[in-house]
Order: sequence, then structure tokens, then C-alpha cells
Amino acid sequence: MRLAGAELVERREVLPGTFLTAWHAPPVVTGARAGQYVHVRAVDPGGLPRRIPFPIATADAATGVLTLLTSGTGWAGTVRVGDRADIAGPLGRPFEVDPRSRHLLLVAEGGAIVAVRFLVDEAVRDARSVVLLFGAATASSVYPTSLLPDEVEYVVATADGSLGHRGSVADLVREYEAWADQAFAAGPPSLLATLATQAAGRRQRLGVATLGRKRGGGRPPAAGSTEARRKAFLQVAVGQSIGCAAATCLGCAVEGADGVALRACREGPVFAADELAWPEP
Amino acid sequence: MKPRRKAVPGMRSRRTPTVRRIRPAITPVPPTSRPATRPAGAAAPPASGQAGPRGPEPALDVLGGRPVRLAVDLGRGLVLTNPVIAASGGCGFGVEVAELVDLPRLGAIVTRGVAVKPAGGQPAPRTADVPAGLLIGVGPQHPGLQQVVDRYAGTWARWPVPVIVNLGGASAGDLAEGARMLDDVAGVAAVEVNLSSGGGARVFGLDAASTSSAIAAVRRATDLPVIAKLTAAAGDLRAVAKAAEEAGADAISAINTLPGLAVSADRGGAALGSTYGGICGPALKPVALRVVYEVVQAVDIPVIGIGGVATVDDVLDFLALGAVAVGVGVAALADPMLPVRLADALADACRERGLEDVAALVGTALPARPGPASTRGAEYAR
Repeated sequence: MRLAGAELVERREVLPGTFLTAWHAPPVVTGARAGQYVHVRAVDPGGLPRRIPFPIATADAATGVLTLLTSGTGWAGTVRVGDRADIAGPLGRPFEVDPRSRHLLLVAEGGAIVAVRFLVDEAVRDARSVVLLFGAATASSVYPTSLLPDEVEYVVATADGSLGHRGSVADLVREYEAWADQAFAAGPPSLLATLATQAAGRRQRLGVATLGRKRGGGRPPAAGSTEARRKAFLQVAVGQSIGCAAATCLGCAVEGADGVALRACREGPVFAADELAWPEP
Repeated sequence: MKPRRKAVPGMRSRRTPTVRRIRPAITPVPPTSRPATRPAGAAAPPASGQAGPRGPEPALDVLGGRPVRLAVDLGRGLVLTNPVIAASGGCGFGVEVAELVDLPRLGAIVTRGVAVKPAGGQPAPRTADVPAGLLIGVGPQHPGLQQVVDRYAGTWARWPVPVIVNLGGASAGDLAEGARMLDDVAGVAAVEVNLSSGGGARVFGLDAASTSSAIAAVRRATDLPVIAKLTAAAGDLRAVAKAAEEAGADAISAINTLPGLAVSADRGGAALGSTYGGICGPALKPVALRVVYEVVQAVDIPVIGIGGVATVDDVLDFLALGAVAVGVGVAALADPMLPVRLADALADACRERGLEDVAALVGTALPARPGPASTRGAEYAR
């Protein structure tokens, strides 16, 4: 983790009430990976110093600029170009892409798209094919294609059918699950639970044989290790509110598969889907 | 196979990394012997525990300016180098923030709440934003007192800051058992008894009799300094504080979070997984000030003020009402160095006023004669 006194270099409204803010913060950008977040020191009007977690939307090492998707309310509504903020990061554990994966399926809903947005850049850089499935309430809140690289296949579902598929983004996943080598998702807990359930039955549906020692044999990697996550089909970024980012306040706990609370700030925010306990969708 | 390079005496291996030596900007003050300022009548520190002061003598003219005495005696040999402590919950078990905080410059660290039996905490979501504060429903989450002691006490013993363990329990017997486990542990400077804990609907801190039984049980089980942490939810705080004092508490900390509730964004239920949460932050400060004001007038033992401290003005407010020390809780989450900076700012505030001892700031806002109690509700209408 590094601290930077960042300067706001650009702020524009990309969706109603949602702003893309670009910050010049070279120390934070260095080494940032998709799935990680930054903790921005905000000033609460009530006098309580707070830090707000933001997933890194993009980070450009050449210019030292990172972008965040912020709301227009509270502290984020008051910042203007030229303002400075104290940004800590990059924090948390990133998405782990298996080096052998050629086809990546990205699934996101609403503002949570920002958590997988950086992974698009990384995948395109590494010459992987990317399909991004995006769900929104209505056409006016669909993430603009102009903010995505051209190489991405972008498929949209809206709840009211005003653009693309009518219904949940989870309905689109079936079409791509055979094509995908790995999937990465971000969104509300209900979507993640649906996807986790689907992913658990995927091998059986597709008739993928389990060839015992194919991947080097030996003991499977420990749950939660980088190795285990790299091998997992579905990785999810949880949207827990992170208070301290130092693993002290335990406010960001997520229930693990074995019932033990995991901390989104330290063990996450990215988890392999089978590490977490999922409610019935 | 490449032969291993042989070590030639007197010759420096090429693989030795260059260690860049950076001279510290501030020359650290060498630790001196324990402060000679203990009042003659004060109790001697127990021979068994590590309750004595372990930090350097507070020579606070490091950055220039006149020295200001910030040390605070909380009784039974627990002397803090300055009156700003990291309150329970703000810094976990201390080890999590050890890299982020300048530990020797903290007055003390209070651990997050522990009890004899392990606890898994409340379901997510565990925090909710409320005006001027935060609603926290983390609940007790720890691996059990014995595990905590085994894991962390060795580290605490090496730190130059007193570590106070916040102890909870379902019954007075639980509290006593926990206190006994902590009694001889090197690295534990004191026990803070969480009077907001308890079994079922019964919370110790709500009435004088339960408070008395809880504190007395802990007092019998340990020689460590015992701090009673009050809850503002009690009906008559003066009686509760008096009961804690009479049962053998060495100090009182006030207050814990107040129970609160927030509604979820879709209005389909409570915002927190635990339904109720504790209100922290500036929203809590007026309540904490009121409690400190009342308790200070009721007891003769030192009082630690906790609740919404985020600036040096908050610290000065609590001191003016008679608290000898203050705890920084939720504000330290965003800024772990905040307690240290508040202590520095407090020294500056003393210098500005030409004071040599922070004790001169304590109790300036107290009335000459004890004021009336506040908590009967109807009294506000008078």
C-alpha cells in the first residue's frame, strides 16, 4: 500500500449521477492490478474523517492516472478539477487470470462494472478474447461503449428491455459458459449468488471430464491461495463497504464457505466463488 | 554444476546488498528510567504484571518549544505517556496497525473486545453510514481470549506502549475467568471491562447492582488495573459509576457506542445484518460529554472520555469536563495516526496557553458545586 496526494485532473458525468474521475497519483498506479481498490480520504460533513473504497476502473502506468467511478453526492459531489485528495492503494487482492485462459467472460451489473473494467484492459493487453455481459435497469444507465476498448464484445441486458436482452444479465451467461475459460463477476450479492450456483454446475452440464492428475497432480492448492483462485472458473469481486482497509474494524466481513468470516479488505475484495457461502438465489 | 563461491575472509561478498542508511529526521529520545513523578501515595505497581510504564519519559520538546508534561496516572501503576489512547475497536489487536502508527507516541492501545469463548461476529453488512457517524454492527469477533493471549501478548510485551485488553463476558464468572487468564500475562497493562456486554437481555452496565458484581468479580481475579467501560444506556449513571468505583475499579471509561438502527436502501429491513448497531463518531459526542460530566462529579477515580473524538477541540472538551484521558475510536479507522497527532496538538495547545502540565486543562468546565443529574428525561423540560 502506498499513499499519494492525488490531484483530480478530470471529472465528467458518464451516466446520470455517476462521474468518471481521473486522478494523477503515480505511486498508487504503479503495480495496480485489476480487482484492486483504493481508499480515498473523504471529509464527512459531520466531522468524522472517513475513507471511501473505490475499485480502480483504469490505471495507466505511463501517465500515472487512475480513474474511479464516483457518485455525485456527498464528498464525491464536491470535488472539482484541481482538488487534491489523499489516496491509499492499491489495496486488496486482484483477479487472478490463469495464463492458459484465452477466453474471458466478464459479468457485471450496474455501477459494479467498474470492478471488472480494469480487467478488460489487462486482457486486451495480453491478447485474450473478452466478452463483457452487462446488466442495467434501463437503457439510460447502460455503461457507455465509448469507455471500453474496441476489442471487447459487449452484450447488454436491461430489466425493462429498453436495450438488448430483456431480463437479468445472468440469463446471458448460459450462452457463453462453454466458450469461456474463466469468468469474473461483480455486482449485487443476488447476482453473484446466481452466478456462483450456475458455475458450480457448469462442469457437469458441459460434460467436462475430470482427468485426475492432469494439472500436475498432487494436493490441490489451499483454499484462498493465489494458486487456487487462478484455477477457479468463477472469481467474484464483492462490493462490501470497507471502513479501515487495515483489517482492524472487521466491518467488511463476508461469510466464507466454512462459516468463518473473511475480510473483503484483506482476503478480498476478489474471491473464488467456492470460497464464499452463498444464500439460495 | 557450478561450484559454490568460497568465502574469503576479509573480502566482501559481491552478493551483499547495499543497505542504504537513512538518518532519522528526529533523533529519538533515549528511554530513561520510569518517571519519578508518581504521587507518593499511589499504589505500587504489581510485581507480577507488566502494568508499569514502559514508554520513555514524556520529554515533549522533541520538536522544539517548551516541554509539556502530558503523562497521566490512571492508578495502580498504569501511567500513560500522554492522555490520547486508541479506543477499543479502532485498532484491532494493535498488530494490524503496528506498521502504520508510531506506537511509542500513543498513550495506550485498547484491543477490540474479547471474551473467554470465541465468537464469530454478526452477519454482513456490518456498517452503515449515518449522519455525522457510523453505525457499526460487527459484534464480538475473536478467536477466544486464550488464543488472543497466545498470539499477541508476546508482541505486546515488546511494544513501548501499554496494551489494555477489552474484556467482555456473559456473566460475572466469565469476566472473572477472563481476568484471571490475563492476570500474569506479560504485555497486558490493564483490563477494560466492557459493561455493555452480558448474557441475553441482561447487560451489566444498566444498573448499579450488576455493575458492582461484574467489577468486583474482576477485581478479585486480577491485580491488573481495572477500567470499567460504561454505557450511556444506563438509567442512573452516577449510581453505576459509584458502584464501579466501590467495587474496585481503578478508572472509568465512558462511553461505549449507543445502540441504534438504520433502514436499508430499499426499505426492506434493517441496514445491518445484526439489525441493531452501535453509533460511533461525532454524533455520539454530546452524549459522551454529558456522561463524563456526570460521572466525574460522582467518583474520585480517573475518567477516560470516549465518543466522537476527531479533533483536538474534542480532546480539550473532554478534558475540560474532567476526563484525564480521551479515547479515539472510529476516527482512527480512516487515519490510524490521528491519536498521535492529537497528542502533539494537545501539547501545542498547552504551550499556547503557557501551561506546563496537561493536568491544568482538566476540569476547567466543571461547576464549583455538583450539578443536578440529567437522565430523568423530564428534567430537560424544567
